Amino acid sequence: MIRPATLHRLAYPRVSSNSLARCRAIPKRALSSTSPTYLNEHLPKSTSPIVSNPHFFNSVTPDGSGIPTYRVLDGSGKVLEGAEVPEVSEEMAVKMYENMLLLPTLDNVLYNVQRQGKISFYMTSHGEEATIIGSAAALDNQDEVLGQYREMGVLLWRGFTLDNVMAQCFGTEEDISGKGRQMPVHFGSPAHHFHTISSPLATQIPQAAGVAYALKRDPERRGKNVAACYFGEGAASEGDFHAGLLLASTLPSPTVFIARNNGFAISTPSSEQFFGDGIAARGPGYGIHTIRVDGNDILAVLDATRKARELSLRDGRATLIECMSYRVGHHSTSDDSFAYRPRSEVEDRKRIDNPTLRFRLWLEGRGWWSEEKEKECKERLKRDVMKSFKRAEGVKRCEVGELFGDVYAGEEPWMQREQRAELASLLRKYGKVWGPWKKELGKFRNEGEDLMGKA
Amino acid sequence: MNVYQAVRDAMATAMAKDDSAVVFGEDVAFGGVFRCTMGLAEEFGKERVFNTPLTEQGIAGFGIGMAAMGHTAIAEIQFADYIFPAFDQLVNEAAKIRYRSGNSFNVGALTVRTPTMAVGHGGLYHSQSPEGFFMGAAGLKVVIPRSPIQAKGLLLGSIRDPNPVIFMEPKILYRSAVEQVPIDDYELPLGKAEILVPGQDLTLLTWGTPVYHCETAMHVLSNPAPELESLIPQSMRGVKIELIDLRSILPWDMETIVESVNRTGRLVIVHEAGMTGGVGGEIASEIQKRCFLKLNAPVRRVTGWDVPVGLQYEKFHIPDAIRVVDAMIETLTY
Repeated sequence: MIRPATLHRLAYPRVSSNSLARCRAIPKRALSSTSPTYLNEHLPKSTSPIVSNPHFFNSVTPDGSGIPTYRVLDGSGKVLEGAEVPEVSEEMAVKMYENMLLLPTLDNVLYNVQRQGKISFYMTSHGEEATIIGSAAALDNQDEVLGQYREMGVLLWRGFTLDNVMAQCFGTEEDISGKGRQMPVHFGSPAHHFHTISSPLATQIPQAAGVAYALKRDPERRGKNVAACYFGEGAASEGDFHAGLLLASTLPSPTVFIARNNGFAISTPSSEQFFGDGIAARGPGYGIHTIRVDGNDILAVLDATRKARELSLRDGRATLIECMSYRVGHHSTSDDSFAYRPRSEVEDRKRIDNPTLRFRLWLEGRGWWSEEKEKECKERLKRDVMKSFKRAEGVKRCEVGELFGDVYAGEEPWMQREQRAELASLLRKYGKVWGPWKKELGKFRNEGEDLMGKA
Repeated sequence: MNVYQAVRDAMATAMAKDDSAVVFGEDVAFGGVFRCTMGLAEEFGKERVFNTPLTEQGIAGFGIGMAAMGHTAIAEIQFADYIFPAFDQLVNEAAKIRYRSGNSFNVGALTVRTPTMAVGHGGLYHSQSPEGFFMGAAGLKVVIPRSPIQAKGLLLGSIRDPNPVIFMEPKILYRSAVEQVPIDDYELPLGKAEILVPGQDLTLLTWGTPVYHCETAMHVLSNPAPELESLIPQSMRGVKIELIDLRSILPWDMETIVESVNRTGRLVIVHEAGMTGGVGGEIASEIQKRCFLKLNAPVRRVTGWDVPVGLQYEKFHIPDAIRVVDAMIETLTY
């Protein structure tokens, strides 16, 4: 049993806005100032020492100040005193930064595309670029990733193409994530070791423990790969969070849990999500090595994820990283977040604590980035995204019959077979005259011929 | 072998041939509360046969994760009554993963075993038959054996089926049903009913424990004890009942049942779960549609009442032989 990696005891920075300061205020947790007197005795079957005075405690830190937040770069991109910059080459740092820039480029286009009604739904990653790209860069590209839905950046980091993204969001026949069956942003790709996203929150957490156990049993991947599991602080309130951390620590399984604590679960602020010291404080209760990181500091996220990964591989057990950030964007395109938080709070946050700007300043300090590169990169990314978006617009959907495909493997049960035939006969009868179907059929490859036969 | 020994034998057979296969759940390491995993941990090691913390949603999710990596995951839920915490993982996740990922991920290697049905004194939470709740979960298979031979063959079929399967073992049969079970490797097909007794006057369809109540009912009908003789018309002595074990709930074997009812013109469905929303309603509706012109009587359902399983009332709750007898008489004399 080893102690968690050394933590830098730095208070989270206070920003000028009152609301932000309130949001970050951490209540004192220690209830009693009297510390227990340890007698040199133990209960049978326990190494817990015996004490003679009742002492309640309510914090994983002795002074009740809350788990500190690990940070490498300050808000102006300068390395904190005493902090060590994790090893990162110029090439990798630039790739990280370009991926950070790519996220909002894609987000802006797809958000607007949804607003125009061209796709049905979208969710941005605004504000969490450092958390997502920093952790993605620290993982091995073969590590199995189980995400929630705000982790498209991990896929992009691994080479999932813009065309792949567009195909999924538009649900075209090129959609390798799911043949157009799932809502936008529900990506997946076995080639990129990224398990297909599903909407039910937290279900991926115990699944990750199973994935990691399988990795440990596989002679080819044992000691080489972990399962990395992402979830938000809201999802961590689900029973599956408890189950997943419990299983990964007890069985045990090399799983790196990455909690994205962005302050909100749709409209619910984290103050209504939990009373304890965030998600990180729960880790030790499960016997899990835990760290809290400034999620807007990509170097801190990179370093913490690398170290968590090493610990998980070494011990074959779970680790937990809580990345503190702020959800700058709306929850989704179906949400107007100004109904429950002031616009000024969001604007303050964007200005004062911008993860991308912070990293850019550090890169510029090293001479690895410049105004010209910034301009060139942004233009190039925008051009690439627009090209991919325009292309996807013209691609047909799968054949209509895919509605009935892949429910089962092997012989297709009679229900699917008969219902496919029933839809076919209905389409033959009404497909050319019933408005809602007629219009829709035109969007599918072969316009329903796979079911109806040739006209 | 009895049923628990046959189940154990099936798992040992599967594990011997498939290094990726693991068995896990609450208390499985010492042999399981119903002895189904006796000696497996000693035989295959603790890495392959292990206890989990007490969390059904976790067990199901963990199994899904292993199966998503192509490993054979044989999970146990201690009682079918406790499968509901895992309902989300099974219905929203396991059932839909292949479909939602366009066949790029699947959890076909997952099997969830769970003891089911009444046991004489199980009360509300050691008696339930939740198969009907899973019937609408397209993507899952649901299988219920009636005997040791069936249990081994169907369980091996379930473990190797390329789809996630919920395998419900009627717990009252664990020790009571004994027969000669082949020790070699064999599978019975999923999705196929079995005609146990051929007949031409009435189709009696059931699965799990009530197979034996139905068998008794058929004997009572043809050869009633003296005290029942006055209650069972003479004309019933010679009727030929066709007894069918459905075996697979999802997908169910529509063709065999339709063929049978088209011959007999009468159908009685027997199951332990409550009537409303039960599997019998689904089958009755489909048979009514497909055999409308051949039916000589309404499809009759003999089921548990629409109440929880009250401890001291079990004998009046379950669809036992006399209730089946009565339903058959009414259907035959309609």
